[in-house]
Amino acid sequence: MGDIILKNEQEKIKLTRRDFLKTAAFTALALSIPSGGLKLLESLTESEALSEQAPTSAQPLPAYIATSCGMCGGSCGIKVGILNNKPVAAVPIEGHPQPGLCGRAAMLPWLYDNALRLKKPMKRVGNRGEGSFQEIPWDQALNEIASKLKEIVSKYGYKSIAITYHDCWSSYIPLFTYLFGTPNGIPHVSTCHLAGSAARSQVLGIAGPNLVDPDYENASYLLLIGRSLSTGIMGQVQRARSNSKLRIVVVDPRMPEISFGNAEWIPIIPGTDPAFVLSLINVIIEEGLYDANFLKKYTNAPFLIKQDGKPLTEADVKQGGSSTTYMVYDSSSSSIVPYTSASQPDLNYQGNVTLADGSTASVKTAFLLLKDRASQYSPSNASKITGVDEDTIRRIAREFALYRGVADDTWYAAKNGNEYDAVKGILILNALVGNIDAMGGLVFQESAGIPSIITLVTSGGKTYAKTIYGASMPQEMFADSTQKRVDQLKYKLTLGTFDAVLDAILKDDPYPIRALFVIGTTPILRDMNASKVIEAYKKLDLVVFINVLYQDDADYADYILPDTTFLERDEIFATKWTPHAVVQMTRKVIEPPEDSDPREAVWAMFEIARRAFPERAYALGWKDEYADYSKFESQFVPSVIDAILNSVSSKWNVSKDRIKQELETNGFYLLKRKSYYSRPYKSPVGTPSGRVEIYPLAALASGLDPLPSYSPPAYTLPSAPNEFYLVNSKSPTTSLTATILEPSKFLEDRKVWMNPKDASRLGISDGDAIEIESIDLPGAKVIAEVRVTNRVREGVLYTRAQAGGRRAKKLVAMRHFSTNGVNPEFLAKVSLHPIIGYGATNCSVRIRKL
Amino acid sequence: MMVRYGFLYDESRCISCYACIVACSSNNYPELMEDPNPNIFWGTMATNIRIVIKEQGRPEQILLSCQHCERPPCVEVCPTGASHVDRSNGFVEIDYDKCIGCKACITACPYNARWIHPIKLKPMKCIGDACKARIAKGEMPFCVEVCPAEARVFGDLDDPNSEINKRIASAKTVKIKEYLGTEPKFYVVRG
Ligand code: SF4
Ligand code: SF4
Ligand code: SF4
Repeated sequence: MGDIILKNEQEKIKLTRRDFLKTAAFTALALSIPSGGLKLLESLTESEALSEQAPTSAQPLPAYIATSCGMCGGSCGIKVGILNNKPVAAVPIEGHPQPGLCGRAAMLPWLYDNALRLKKPMKRVGNRGEGSFQEIPWDQALNEIASKLKEIVSKYGYKSIAITYHDCWSSYIPLFTYLFGTPNGIPHVSTCHLAGSAARSQVLGIAGPNLVDPDYENASYLLLIGRSLSTGIMGQVQRARSNSKLRIVVVDPRMPEISFGNAEWIPIIPGTDPAFVLSLINVIIEEGLYDANFLKKYTNAPFLIKQDGKPLTEADVKQGGSSTTYMVYDSSSSSIVPYTSASQPDLNYQGNVTLADGSTASVKTAFLLLKDRASQYSPSNASKITGVDEDTIRRIAREFALYRGVADDTWYAAKNGNEYDAVKGILILNALVGNIDAMGGLVFQESAGIPSIITLVTSGGKTYAKTIYGASMPQEMFADSTQKRVDQLKYKLTLGTFDAVLDAILKDDPYPIRALFVIGTTPILRDMNASKVIEAYKKLDLVVFINVLYQDDADYADYILPDTTFLERDEIFATKWTPHAVVQMTRKVIEPPEDSDPREAVWAMFEIARRAFPERAYALGWKDEYADYSKFESQFVPSVIDAILNSVSSKWNVSKDRIKQELETNGFYLLKRKSYYSRPYKSPVGTPSGRVEIYPLAALASGLDPLPSYSPPAYTLPSAPNEFYLVNSKSPTTSLTATILEPSKFLEDRKVWMNPKDASRLGISDGDAIEIESIDLPGAKVIAEVRVTNRVREGVLYTRAQAGGRRAKKLVAMRHFSTNGVNPEFLAKVSLHPIIGYGATNCSVRIRKL
Repeated sequence: MMVRYGFLYDESRCISCYACIVACSSNNYPELMEDPNPNIFWGTMATNIRIVIKEQGRPEQILLSCQHCERPPCVEVCPTGASHVDRSNGFVEIDYDKCIGCKACITACPYNARWIHPIKLKPMKCIGDACKARIAKGEMPFCVEVCPAEARVFGDLDDPNSEINKRIASAKTVKIKEYLGTEPKFYVVRG
């Protein structure tokens, strides 16, 4: 057995015999009789079967290495088991602040040498979309891409290059934008957390979805609205599940997986979350269940607001007063004073104020304005909008207040176009019960202080872009990189709206984009109106697709570059989904499969730049010798990691060796445990007033209504008997990578869910095929199989996102299981929030039984 | 040392991530990883855990595996003595030297906990070899180790201080089809 040649021989024999046996097995099983002939065959293969079945004591055990999972963007801590030079197992890292595992991570043995893995660079040979490619050497691919880029830049300028990405390599994207001289590095967020991030930054002064989160392990009541805890990042589930006293309530049009367990499911009409939340606010205020002390001291609830919606400031009432000193009514002195000097700020004051110019203004507290707004959403009104009965709304509001609940601030939530209001309401709800940064509340993450890979520094009157590993690019080289991106030119508050790139490609609006790098992401399964994405791909002069597996978008690429998997590279970063400050590593646990030659996207991008714009690459620290990939791995990557370690070590005053050693043994290093009651108690939050703003002044400044309100979803509402909402979400086994790996065939549900009442009304049975046509995108149609289940609300159809309906030619030709089901992005129209730039991936559809 | 191993599945905590199912498969049946139809009996992966979903009323899901019955019908019907209870650990096991692949046990198991290996053509079930090797080292079987939701517990039912006995004591558990007299050692906390 130890002899490799012998083993291969055996394998060959096994394969042929196995195929034969399988046919025999099928026949036998179909007939359901143990056949004598079959038995004979089995005894022939007895020794073979037993040779695979090594005795227990001799069973070789995998050797485990602590690293991070990259099956979704979560980066949970896992240990990967290596046996016979293959990754064979994954287990969680005990004690890790964000421990794995989930079905996705467990699938990693299938990722490593999967048939869909991109192994060598490829060049398109047919038309875009045909999916015909030819393997070419790395050098040829890089040279050809570089010369095309030079041509494009000479005609349209650097900013005609765009890069779109998701989590993978996201920390390097700023570096890439300097490398290619373009501002246009644009992430996925418009169909993900953008609405929530806008709301968080306005109410709590912090944008990213992971920078503030429920304290799952200490909470007593967790309200999930527009969030199911089943999507990704099982560390959060682990934390929630380790808390046996936690009650979970989830509000969703379909029953999330967590409600198979002990989470109460409240089925709601899609796109009505803001009304539901406002109704909870209404009950809590009307019944006096709020934490008045918290509101007075730590929020802007007592701020006096003028009739034009603007806050009354010291400048309004006093010549030369400050326009950022907000005024409140102090009931102890019965006077209007700056908010910082009031001893008893009144939440319920309304009256007239004499202004510095002698005129009179009528003012009202922000709290009263919120109260007025919420009063439009009494449980009886909200019940009509949301389809949730009045008693349930009242009960949830009371429970939430009495348990001092925490409402999850959401994450992957761009579904109906009104999530900005929903999340703003959710954050206000947490503030109303005073559960901000309290143990068991909505808590701010301790920052690990991992430095950005590139920052602007000024010295000697000149500005440089300086990399963490010591290279610097002079200002005259990066003028374009620091301009506004195409999406920011259109949507003032966006953090990433890829649709703006599509408009730049298709309509030269606001200027032409001609080259696109698609790194670790697949816009066809990510962005609304996938047909528009395809149209844009077809118009580009250059499309480079960098990924690990063959995804739908690869069909439209001119060049496909194989990236390394998370098993084959080193990276260091802050643990994302934990309240503590933690640094963690992804480690190279194995060499890529023998017949493959993947290279890190970072290497590929630098090597393209070195050929196209060498002065740019050199300015950012690239050296000719890094062309040798082993030098890149042994010199460049360690230099980045070392620079980050140095910075962390000096910030936290811990020796680098100690951090390194723990990273190696445990995969993480805990820098600081969460200390509760810090912001806004001891230090200000990042809002204009430094307080939690239930009436966000930043919203006001951007031309938005500071208070949440309900407006219907961004798509046409279903009205005819055969019309439905089509909602989507991911399951705990969904990620772009996982859903094309073999286990997904058996574990992911690719049917479209329909409520039994709708099914019987329309004469549809479980397993029937239906045609689904988008109401807003006439002609956009898909076919799917129905699952009749009461896990979805009446009038609503549910499909997984990013799991089914794949259309890559390669997958279609293989009759791959992932081509079944629906990719909802082909049915959702593009409708973006005019200021924030986030979209809606839910839609309405008309169905027809086939 | 004599032990009597049992399992607990906590439906109220399970999040349906299926890590247990996938880990059971890749570790115990690595040879079937690329097989397009590795388990035609259940129509699923090569795994010892079967998904059972109840749609009526309040939807429920049980992830079912061998119950390691104290009075196992599969052992009773086995004509060769291949299926047996290992009294040293309480596992119901199959001695593949003796097994003739008659599938009587598959028919007899009231839990549908056994499936047919498409190459070996013999019944497979929990406990898999990779898990046994872990247990021998004092580690948890794969499905328990990987579960992010603390929904799975494994341990010695004869040890009053074992984790599984603590969980049985602290939660209301049921055993599936106990009325059949199989005396299963698989405890379920309902959702
Ligand atoms: S104990 Fe092992 S063999 Fe049994 S179900 Fe769990 S993972 Fe599978
Ligand atoms: S569950 Fe089925 S296979 Fe397992 S011991 Fe009981 S009867 Fe036998
Ligand atoms: S690993 Fe745990 S949470 Fe995931 S499906 Fe299995 S029992 Fe449920």
